[in-house]
This record gives sequence, C-alpha cells and structure tokens, in this order.
Amino acid sequence: MTLLLHDLPPLHWAISGALIAAVTVALLFVANRRLGVSGGLDDLCSLALSGPYFRRDFVRSSRPWRLPFLAGLVFGGFLSAVLAGGWTPTWSLGLFDTVIGLAPAGKLAWMFLGGVSIGFGTRLANGCTSGHGIFGLSNLEWPSIVSTISFMGAGLVTTQVIYRVVFEWSGGR
Amino acid sequence: MSAVYVLLGTIFGFVLSRSGAADYGYVQAMFLFENGQLYGIIGTAVLLAAPGLWWVQRRGRTAVGGPVHVERKVMNRGTVAGGLLFGVGWSMTGMCPGPILVNIGEGKVYALAALAGALAGAGAFGTLYPRLQGLFHLPPLPPARAQ
Repeated sequence: MTLLLHDLPPLHWAISGALIAAVTVALLFVANRRLGVSGGLDDLCSLALSGPYFRRDFVRSSRPWRLPFLAGLVFGGFLSAVLAGGWTPTWSLGLFDTVIGLAPAGKLAWMFLGGVSIGFGTRLANGCTSGHGIFGLSNLEWPSIVSTISFMGAGLVTTQVIYRVVFEWSGGR
Repeated sequence: MSAVYVLLGTIFGFVLSRSGAADYGYVQAMFLFENGQLYGIIGTAVLLAAPGLWWVQRRGRTAVGGPVHVERKVMNRGTVAGGLLFGVGWSMTGMCPGPILVNIGEGKVYALAALAGALAGAGAFGTLYPRLQGLFHLPPLPPARAQ
C-alpha cells in the first residue's frame, strides 16, 4: 500500500509515532502547551465570530501559539509534497474515486458535510485525535479514553457501512 | 516564540503527510482492519509520549524555566456524543483536524471543503453553546468581559 501523494511508501509507523511523541512532549517542555489541533478551529472562528464562547480567555490566550502551529501544519504538507516530487493541486482520492466515485461537486459536498461533523463533533467532545487521542491518552485522562473509544468506534462503523454494506466493496481483503 | 510553533507544526505536518495519517486510503484501511499502519502510529506515539509528559510535569518547569500546568479534559455528555459525531466525519473525509490542514498544504483541493465544513461546524457549536449547555451538561462560560 502506498500514499496518494506521489505513490510514496509511507514512513515506518514506529518512526512516525516516535516523531509525533517528540512534538507532543516538546510543546509541553518548551512552551507549556498542550497539543491539540481542533481547539485551533475555535481560534480561527474567533477571528470572525464574537459570541461569548469565542471571547473566552482560553481561546484568546491560545491564539498566539495555535495559529502559528496550524500554519506549520499547512507548510509541513506543502514541504512534503515539494520534496516528494513537486506540488500539484489534485482532486484524486484513490479508493473514494474507485468505489464511491462522486464528481467534483459531489466530492466537495461530501467533504463539507464530513467537515461539519468534524468541526461540531470535536468542539462538543472538546478534543480530537491529537488532544484526546495522543495527549489525553498519554496523560491518562479518563475523558480522553472515553472520547477516543467513541470516535474510533464511530469511524469504524461508518467506514464499514459505507464500503462493506452500501457499496458492497470486497477489494482489499 | 512563534517560530518554534511554526517549526513544531511543520514537523508534525510533515510526519502526518508522510506516515499515512493524512491519507484517505490509510484511514479507510485502518477502519476496515486491512492495514495496521495507523494503529501502530497512535500506539507508538501514546506509549512514548506518556513517560515524556509525566517527566515534564514532575519536573514542573519548562526548558526556559516557566511553570508547567496541564489543564485536564472534563467529562460531560459531549465527550461521547461529540466523539461519535467526529468519528463519522473522520471516516467520511479521511481526515481529522490536523490532516485537513496538511492535505490543503499538499494541494488536495477537496480538503478546502472539509476545512470550510469544519469551521462552519465549530462556528455553529460556539454560537449555539448557550443552548447546548444544558443538554450536554457543558461547563459554564466565564462571565463576558467588557470589550
């Protein structure tokens, strides 16, 4: 199995996991910051929305670190593509195109809907794969264990229903 | 300090990009139990971060001598409900919040729609917070300060 990005073989999982752990610990050790990406959605929203939820000190005080961190995520993806063989805008989505096969407009609508679930869900759960799944689990926080089981479980059921039930895809086995 | 955050974000983004964590196919393969790559990554990251985070908190000081304080997550009805909703979106898009940004950087055009959706979802949540508070037993907002 290879990545969509230039058909590259992926980095070894142990190396990838170790680097993610290093970034997580470094954020706390260097700057007393708790890793978490979905909180950045609040920060971005707070630039345009002014409800009391977005005026909290928690949001305001995290913007100076989270916004640069989010910019780094975009840049990291860009750098990865450039070093892999060049940056090119692409619509291709591998398995999705083969099995579900929506035209660009349908794909955008699908992604937008999925995005709404991600935005609303991660804020309601107060964390995502990074804040709950990596930091929270590593820090043995009970709510993170519960939330991680919830989102892993829901992701599993959704993918199984889409690929195995609705589209009856039997590939990959 | 901003440069440090950009650097750490860049490393994180690069690793997500090259490891499969920001790849639609690897996310589906994880949920279909066809490929263990992402389970290996999360497992390794948690196993290695745990002693590191424990050590930094026991030390109680950052590298530059500042205080270390971790605000722990609180449990409420949103912990499960929000997690379930997020899981559906993760499966649909093949992206969690970090990888949405990484995929935009890589040039995957459809990730822009996922970001627009995620901002709309987070914006709706924050705007509806006062109404959702009772339903999900969410913590009260601190009193609004004068602008």
